[in-house]
Amino acid sequence: MTDSSKVSETANDIMSDAAVDKLFSLQSHGDYFQAKFSSMASPCEFLIETEDGKLARNLARLGVAEVKRIEHKFSRYAKGNLCDAINDARGKKVTIDNECHRLLTFAQTCYELSDGLFDLSSGVLRKAWRFDGSNRIPHQSQIDEVLPLVGWEHVHYDETSLQMKNNMEIDFGGIGKEYAVSRVASIFIAQAKNTSTLINLGGDIQITTPRVEQRLWTVGLESPNQNQQSQGTLTLRSGALATSGDSKRFLLHKGKRYSHILNPKTGWPIVDAPASITVASTLCVQAGCLATLALLSGKNAESFLDEQKVKYWSIRP
Amino acid sequence: MQLIKSEGKKNGKRKTGKKAKAAHVTSTLLAASCALLGNPTIADDWEFDTAIMYYSEGDRVSALEGIVQAKKTFKNYREFSAKFVADSLTGASANGAVPQAEPQTFTRPSGNGQYTSNAGETPLDDTFKDTRYQLNLQWSQPLSERYIGSTGIQFSTEYDYLSVAVNGMLGRYFNNKNTTINMGVSYASDTIDPVGGKPAALSDLVIDNGQFSSQEAFNTAFADSRESSSDTKTTLDWVLGVSQVINRKWITQFNIGLSEVSGYQTDPYKFVSIVDDAGIAVRHLHESRPDSRTKQSFYSQSKYHFKNGIWDASYRLSNDDWGVQSHTLETRYRFLLSQNRYIEPHIRLYQQSEADFYTPFYNEHETLTDFASADYRIGKLNTYTIGIRYGMKLSKGREYGLRLEYYNQTPQDAGKTAPGALSTLDLYPSVDALVVQFDYHF
Repeated sequence: MTDSSKVSETANDIMSDAAVDKLFSLQSHGDYFQAKFSSMASPCEFLIETEDGKLARNLARLGVAEVKRIEHKFSRYAKGNLCDAINDARGKKVTIDNECHRLLTFAQTCYELSDGLFDLSSGVLRKAWRFDGSNRIPHQSQIDEVLPLVGWEHVHYDETSLQMKNNMEIDFGGIGKEYAVSRVASIFIAQAKNTSTLINLGGDIQITTPRVEQRLWTVGLESPNQNQQSQGTLTLRSGALATSGDSKRFLLHKGKRYSHILNPKTGWPIVDAPASITVASTLCVQAGCLATLALLSGKNAESFLDEQKVKYWSIRP
Repeated sequence: MQLIKSEGKKNGKRKTGKKAKAAHVTSTLLAASCALLGNPTIADDWEFDTAIMYYSEGDRVSALEGIVQAKKTFKNYREFSAKFVADSLTGASANGAVPQAEPQTFTRPSGNGQYTSNAGETPLDDTFKDTRYQLNLQWSQPLSERYIGSTGIQFSTEYDYLSVAVNGMLGRYFNNKNTTINMGVSYASDTIDPVGGKPAALSDLVIDNGQFSSQEAFNTAFADSRESSSDTKTTLDWVLGVSQVINRKWITQFNIGLSEVSGYQTDPYKFVSIVDDAGIAVRHLHESRPDSRTKQSFYSQSKYHFKNGIWDASYRLSNDDWGVQSHTLETRYRFLLSQNRYIEPHIRLYQQSEADFYTPFYNEHETLTDFASADYRIGKLNTYTIGIRYGMKLSKGREYGLRLEYYNQTPQDAGKTAPGALSTLDLYPSVDALVVQFDYHF
């Protein structure tokens, strides 16, 4: 059994305040503070509506530490972390902690809601598919080689352990960033429930509580549409936003566009999926999952979201 | 066991229609998200504001007030708040009669017993004692993307008073919520049940100076000065307001209000003295006020956020058909001392003109009009308040504050010439009060 229970959920065990302070910049904008940092390969920011610099620094510190903690613990690129322990277990049982169990349970719900299309184990298909904007699509034989390693039904877990087939992989990337956004929101609420804050991790956003005097938060967003070079701005009052899809990751072969959203059952891209979907909802994790479920619905992406009665923005190539 | 379980799940799925399932996704995901996060992620706790206030006019009225307010925000910004106020008032208040060089004797409002005013001093009714309880319940919620509605009910009770009020407000947002227009209405129905009954308007205060042959004779005379046991009053208030965010730092608000009061508005415990040419009070009449009052008001407020402070300034103009016109100027500046402490000086200036029927006293040979009151609160009056508040924010949204205020009321000479001995007495004594308040938010 690989022991990963030492991986702590509390950020402070990992980094000192001074170490965290080096990771972000804090700037006052009059009635709010902005903390900027970079994480999960994205530009990130916290907007904190206070004139209290000490409170802003304290929140930013806790938030940045939490984002880094989640990144370190669940990134599939890092070595020696929980994700690595799971993916390197070679069919053995791995000890997991409560947080990991909660993430797996959430993934299970998404899997059930999507009739098996939302699958955290589908990451190995990347061994066959490289979405680099080229025209290289894999041979069916390459897909057939990795397809047996995909399948959430082969992932067996309970509250303390996880076991799956040798060479299977789990990639928390599909929910990690949105999870981090919502986790930071929880921390901010616990620390300063009356202070309005906005958490923005590379465009996945959540607001804890509305600003005073019905003011709105304004965030700059990188346009998901590659033809639009300019940055857009977005005004928000409350709730969360999450985007799924990436207009830059696709393959073009014989005039056909292959999106990077793969069907774990066939190993082939979902047909007619939008390039990207942004969903507004209460919590960022919920919005993120809705956006992904929509993409997995292919040509029915928009009608799926219409049925959900949520606000969304869809970009089609 | 597990097999059976998963079979059951699958069967359940099959039975559910596709549409029904689609509708479940969002709520299932929200529940799953909450389970994932493991703790409340939407700020939906109860919030409490509590305060205790002590008000003292020195030798006159003093009051102790406790306030508890609870607020809860539900999903979709629906909000419920409940506020409970308990006041205890004791002490003495001016009864409206003029001061005299000699001590004066007055009958207590109940008719049982007497009180005596000091020579040369404004007569104070020391029977003043009351406990007030007030409960407000308010619900507000967005009605659509652009509209917000609010409704509430209020009960207030005192020993001699009962009030029930309902209110409703509709707000509409414009211009990215930078502009809000509100319209509100409230209706209150009050029952006044004066101690000793409701005195007949401008009837003589019956005082037992030994002229009655028996207690019964006094009682009969006292009862004759009473019109009924109780009366009612209704108040209808309208308000139309605009609030405008000028920029990130500046917000303004304008309100116009209309208030219609009808019913019993006389203070049953106040008198108007009739004095002779020597300035001697020969009788005291129970005051009388019109049974309708229409008030218009205009209010404007601006709040500006500076780098290290917040400035709040407001002006209010009020005018009514009793002839009372008032101006209120108020300003506060919150100095942010450090990250979580502030100090906030406060100044309020108030000026009002007297009601048409206000008179500090009647001359003996003057013709009585239908209405008369010597209550300084509807006379020509200037007041000012200076105060300071210290606030401290603690962790987890908790906050406390301490407020200290000095309040001065200076009645002004309305221009009536005091005859004889009255000219040497202070008809317009000023009243000083001190307010201390401690509040705690959590």
